[in-house]
Amino acid sequence: MTETPDGAEDGVEEVAEEVVVEPEQVEPEAVGETLAGTEPGNRPEVATDGSQDGRPRWVELATSADHKDIGRLLIGTSVGALFLAIVELVILRIQLAVPENGLLESVTFDRLLSMYGATGIFFFALPLAFGLFYFLIPLMIGSRGTALPRLGQIGVWLVMLGGTLLYSTILFTPPEAGINPLPPFSEVAFTTNNGVDAWIVSTGMATLGLLMLAIDLLVTLKHLRAPGMAWRRAPVFVWSGAIASWLFLFIAPIFLAALTMLLVDRRLGGSFFTGGAGGAPLLWQHLSYIFLAGTYMLVAIFAIGAITEIVQTFTRRPLRGRNAVVRSMIAIAILGTLAWTQNMYTAPIPSFWKYLSMFLAIALIVPFGVIFQSLISAVAKNDFNMSAPLRYAMGALSFASVGLIVEVSQSMLAIGTQLQQTYDAWAATHFALFGFAVFGGLAALSYWYPKLTGTYLNEERAAKSFWLTYAGGLIALVPLFGAGVEGQVTDAFRFFGGEGLGFFNLVSSIGTLVLFLGLVLTIGNLIRSRVEEKPAPPDPWRGETLEWLTTSPPPPHNFDVLPDVRSANPMSDIREVLAKMDSGEARETRESEPVA
Amino acid sequence: MALAVLFAEPAWALSLNPDAGSPGIAKANTLHTIVFLLAIIAIFGINLAIARAAKPRTLYVANSGAKSKWSSGRVAGLLSVFAIALFVVGTIYSSSSRSVPESKATVAGADADKVLNVKVTGQQWLWRFSYPNGAFGYHRLIVPAGVTVGLDLVSSDVIHGWNVPTLTGKAQAVPGKTNRIYFRADETGIHRGWASVLSGQGYADMEAVVEVVSPDDYETYVKRLKTDIQFAQDDVEKTLADEARKAMGQ
Repeated sequence: MTETPDGAEDGVEEVAEEVVVEPEQVEPEAVGETLAGTEPGNRPEVATDGSQDGRPRWVELATSADHKDIGRLLIGTSVGALFLAIVELVILRIQLAVPENGLLESVTFDRLLSMYGATGIFFFALPLAFGLFYFLIPLMIGSRGTALPRLGQIGVWLVMLGGTLLYSTILFTPPEAGINPLPPFSEVAFTTNNGVDAWIVSTGMATLGLLMLAIDLLVTLKHLRAPGMAWRRAPVFVWSGAIASWLFLFIAPIFLAALTMLLVDRRLGGSFFTGGAGGAPLLWQHLSYIFLAGTYMLVAIFAIGAITEIVQTFTRRPLRGRNAVVRSMIAIAILGTLAWTQNMYTAPIPSFWKYLSMFLAIALIVPFGVIFQSLISAVAKNDFNMSAPLRYAMGALSFASVGLIVEVSQSMLAIGTQLQQTYDAWAATHFALFGFAVFGGLAALSYWYPKLTGTYLNEERAAKSFWLTYAGGLIALVPLFGAGVEGQVTDAFRFFGGEGLGFFNLVSSIGTLVLFLGLVLTIGNLIRSRVEEKPAPPDPWRGETLEWLTTSPPPPHNFDVLPDVRSANPMSDIREVLAKMDSGEARETRESEPVA
Repeated sequence: MALAVLFAEPAWALSLNPDAGSPGIAKANTLHTIVFLLAIIAIFGINLAIARAAKPRTLYVANSGAKSKWSSGRVAGLLSVFAIALFVVGTIYSSSSRSVPESKATVAGADADKVLNVKVTGQQWLWRFSYPNGAFGYHRLIVPAGVTVGLDLVSSDVIHGWNVPTLTGKAQAVPGKTNRIYFRADETGIHRGWASVLSGQGYADMEAVVEVVSPDDYETYVKRLKTDIQFAQDDVEKTLADEARKAMGQ
């Protein structure tokens, strides 16, 4: 094979088996037409083509094991969950708008809070990340599908059934033990109804389903990369998918074990977490915080991967320090998850672990700092086209920076024991997760929107709803820092006047309404653009990754001809070859062309 | 100069609890002031950089391929030094904030190290305080000024969050496990805080009140509390005995 200069030379990483699959002989004319996506009749015949005629679209979606359909189902689930979560947040904030509000009862507030937490984590953030990974990674590595498609199909159905189960509790008794239901409070002795059981089963189904998707992705990444797609040439988003899947492979079984133990405690007379009878209530905190800390980092890694792709595409330059960004993502996964005891500063555990997690949390400054510097300077130093994806990406970095910095200051032991479990900590976590999951997720959705749906996203409406969401988020969250410093604790269904909290809470509630409006418009734009906008070409942004090689949306078999990857920027190589073909230049005499 | 002011006088606007009631919380305030300033600088710095980077511009930047002096390795090195410094400062202040303060006075019931041990039991949805002489009370903890108090936090049902921001900070009361925290209140007064771990319907109203009184007042209070309890118990026992006698008589 001839050496082409790679953007990323790195001897450490594993080189894929460079199987030189002789590309099928394609006539130059056919290549051009396939890329334009105009004449499907000219494609080489593939068995999947035309096999599903006459079946309605929803039957197709419901029975499909195609990674793109599964990804779309997950993304649809997560967008629906985003809407439900923001509705719940608005009701919670209306209750907390004025002191001693009598709108909601204590138990109703707890139920809404529990639903909000479960929806946000298990049915919005994680499915959005895995949905996009699952849709895009096979395309990005030049594969026809995933390695274990049936596993992915079971996975997405588990997630969707889990969500249905969680919301079916509205008809009975919703869970009421809080965002993280700490035993013994979540034991059957203190929450006697079935709400917590429904919480356990639904979050368990979601976790198990996503774990299956993670396994499928890892096998796909190991075995189905296109010829020449070495790890050092893999896009950053593929790296972030690999790191996130590995991370989930470690944390999800821990959480599933904890859920099983809690269910055994509640319904089979166990005593894993009970107060007496040899139970250890702190064990749940360790197990659940390992998972939640890992999830936080997973969402961050997902968003960083997506933002990196967006920045590279819109500045039209490979990111300088790409390898440093990838290494930083690995460091974030390890350090951030191991720092789980920083959620347990107030628990009776040995001081050593508290100082260790303080060290690990502060050490996170380094990888996050490298990533932020790399991405911001790439935008600052290059020419770029401002467009919806880049705007959302910059919003994500802005929001996440605030959240992460405040999280670091709260990881100081003496400050953490003051500010944890107050609205200061709530606001910090929300800033970081709004940045990574909501803005990062919307950046990814708007960037890959043409590929997902086949139409453009309405730019004008995207810009308006972005600014509304951004302003709403700031107004909703910044005052809560003040409320937290004044000592307002989270999860309480009311607060009392005369403690200087009224102003902060009122402003925050108004901001939440603005945020609600912004997100509803954003979701509306995602839905309306599908119908109203004009069809998108295969490669609307001039991207550098292989998903832009195929049509928008991609055919069931992804690629008519599998690409032969020769560098970290395969699309540049392909465009170069196509340009030469167009200008009628003689083809270079090479063993194989880096072209589909 | 500016740094000296910063270290000497934490009790200004940025301070977490301007009316800190114990030396540990005063230390936490100083640390918060330092970290808060750094955080504000970092937040505004990064967000200004993002705003400047993303500002629409028409000029093509010609030297975009030039080597930047801020390579990732250099950034990582600088940030590592900063992180280590931050960790050292944080550890120094945190450990001194959480160390056992020296007692300035002593009261009856204090142990050999002059520490007064009070057992605090969380239960849905109030706090129970057991003093060394056997007396106990609910809702309001009375402690002597100038004496180091050790709180043994336990719970009799679910996990409760002990939280008195101006005096002790937060600590969980976990069933089956003792969480011990120390503090020394220097001046008389009242400190309050709301429970901080969701524990059920009465959670929002679960308040902890600590009243700091002079050592003499403390001793009087605890003695009176014990006598009151004794009277009440005697009364109950007498009533029960009377009833039993009546039942026997019939």
